[in-house]
Amino acid sequence: MSELKGAVVSARSGTKETIIELLEKAMDKGIFDGVIVPMKVPAGDSFAYVFVKDRSLLKESFPLPPVMFVQGAKAVSSVTRLGEGNMKIAVIMRPCEVRATIELAKLNQTNIENMTLISIDCPGVLPTSDFLSNPEKSMKQFDEAVKKLDDKIMRPVCQICDKSSMIAGDLHIGTLGAKKDTFFIISNSQKGNNVVEKLGIKLKDNLDSWHNKVKGISEEKHKKRKKAHKDLKSEVGGIDNLVETFSHCINCHNCMKACPICFCRLCYFDSDKVKHPSEDYLERAESKGSIRFLPDTTLFQMGRMMHMSHSCVSCGACEDACPMSIPVAQIFSMIADETQGLFDYISGRSLDEPVPLTVYEEEELHEVEDAND
Amino acid sequence: MTKTLKINKSTEQGVLEFLKFLLESDKVNGVFILKKINGDEAVAYSLVANPEDLKDAVPFYPLMPVNAGKLLSRFTLKGSTKKPVVAVVKPCELRGFVELIKREQGNLENLFIISSTCGGVYPTKMSVDRTIEKNLSKYWDAVKRGESPSDLRDACRACEEFIPYMADITVDLIGKSDIDKQCTMFLNTKRGEELAKDMKGEFSEKELDRKKLDEICERRGVEKKKLFDEIDAKMKGMEGLINIFGRCIGCHGCMRVCPICYCKLCEFESPNSEYAPSDYESELGKRGAIRVPPGTIYYQLGRMTHIGISCVACGSCDDVCPVDIPISIIFKRVGESVQKLFKYVPGKDVEEKIPLITFEKEEFTEVEE
Repeated sequence: MSELKGAVVSARSGTKETIIELLEKAMDKGIFDGVIVPMKVPAGDSFAYVFVKDRSLLKESFPLPPVMFVQGAKAVSSVTRLGEGNMKIAVIMRPCEVRATIELAKLNQTNIENMTLISIDCPGVLPTSDFLSNPEKSMKQFDEAVKKLDDKIMRPVCQICDKSSMIAGDLHIGTLGAKKDTFFIISNSQKGNNVVEKLGIKLKDNLDSWHNKVKGISEEKHKKRKKAHKDLKSEVGGIDNLVETFSHCINCHNCMKACPICFCRLCYFDSDKVKHPSEDYLERAESKGSIRFLPDTTLFQMGRMMHMSHSCVSCGACEDACPMSIPVAQIFSMIADETQGLFDYISGRSLDEPVPLTVYEEEELHEVEDAND
Repeated sequence: MTKTLKINKSTEQGVLEFLKFLLESDKVNGVFILKKINGDEAVAYSLVANPEDLKDAVPFYPLMPVNAGKLLSRFTLKGSTKKPVVAVVKPCELRGFVELIKREQGNLENLFIISSTCGGVYPTKMSVDRTIEKNLSKYWDAVKRGESPSDLRDACRACEEFIPYMADITVDLIGKSDIDKQCTMFLNTKRGEELAKDMKGEFSEKELDRKKLDEICERRGVEKKKLFDEIDAKMKGMEGLINIFGRCIGCHGCMRVCPICYCKLCEFESPNSEYAPSDYESELGKRGAIRVPPGTIYYQLGRMTHIGISCVACGSCDDVCPVDIPISIIFKRVGESVQKLFKYVPGKDVEEKIPLITFEKEEFTEVEE
């Protein structure tokens, strides 16, 4: 942490406005040819990521919207899944969106060579359905909550997020611990250094107050997270509880589609592999008395968990998309902490850390080898 | 006149006893039916082989967690069931299944269908917040009177196709004040009659009370017009589409739960819907900015074009939409206008071909000009 370099930026016109001014300046100077930022949709009832080339449209940007309709990593990968382009692009996202982008880059689902990933201290996001019930009121509530650093109205996983200021991209905008009408701009890479330098900002200011504030918040959230996971484990742990928890699942796979990590074009659980001759179903029904049809809801959840939990960034997009209000994100974040912990891995922390399941270490997990001795 | 079987039990009890009889007498080897799971917590379709397991079955429960047409397709996708199975499904679920059969995604052979005149279902989320149980008595009172509670699925309140087509047996359910005491089943087909043979009960001949059902249909028509008018007012031109679909998050849940959408890989999830950076670059030159991921409205219109002709307006899409877009009424509105052009009622007759796969030399000559 101590190597991070930063600068205090004066933001008298407001944080959002100053960020936009900086983006405009960067485009004028040719540092970026395009910017991917959230904007309000025309109806005003949601936000969407927009890839902007026309500088005059930047004033519509909304760098820290109160909701996460689409996980930013999905927006980024839709642009560069097929390779890097010629444009130099800046992307403004929340820390968990930057982390998911980095996971996708490792999984070869996006190319961030020409991208500058910029994150912002994240106060959390409102559950989409809460926001939709009254967008205008929600905007105000969100602003209030951000001012008071109050996370009670945010997504349940945001309330237990201990990585809400984690810097994984190139640049980070720190609002925590900043004096009135200022924010920190913090660089995490050579790419980030170059951008800031070209903007005429010197990375020489002291970041202690940001570090201290972030440390306090993440430690407190970490404790909350541990406790929440412990409570959740007693609720959903064990096969009976698990089956009961997922008994509402209707197999719509919204969670998978909203997940920034689930990138398979055709999910195993949508493929022919899970379609069986009618005799098979009937035989199973005869041996058990009756079977639930569709029979693979819990299997889907566990399969997905095995496939992506080492890369899960606990963003909560799955839970928001679940029409049956299953606490998917809370369950997945609990499992993710454990699987990632096994490998001392934090999803999206760094592009240089390979996804654990893609590397072979001769000396690891010996306890598994001995399990059958 | 149609042959009927009357059992002096409540309608639900009568049907359950009939199903038990079918399993015990080996007339069928399985019953496909809605069943409670985890006590009162949730309902799900189940395939029941042991008659004892019918005790938790709730054939007419006002919920549709998944459109059963999709499930019956899954059951018979790899070929017809070798052993006879009876399925108890709602009319629109049966219609969805019939449309899938026309697309070679299912098979009716050895499958007996029991359906009923349908009172509609509540949004599935009612089972999640557990408000469904306390709504049940209100629901059944309304059904007896042939009315729709105002909190039913929009698509159900506006449904005029609540009498099943293609069912071997139709259970007389809505607008009938004595469903707590009597169960009347119409044996529509020879297969239905065969099935009911030797069942204890009173056999006679009757017709559904068309006059009463017509009145119900008329009331639902009024509701439909109201919902259609609302949508028409909102969905005008490109601007209207942007306002309605702007908040779509691209989860494609509507497509996944739709009984008609059967493509293994949707066009909108295929490589055809992915663009190279150079495509974005040239498009940005023209437009200045692009929403990413792109294609939000394109997807909706594409799906509408693909399935509009066969949409059975079951309302499953509404239920899964995490951003509350009134998809079902939009699709019903567009679907019906396409269906009307071809005088086509989706799911009415398995022998009738889907209009878009038949060529009529003399049709739509006005389009040529």
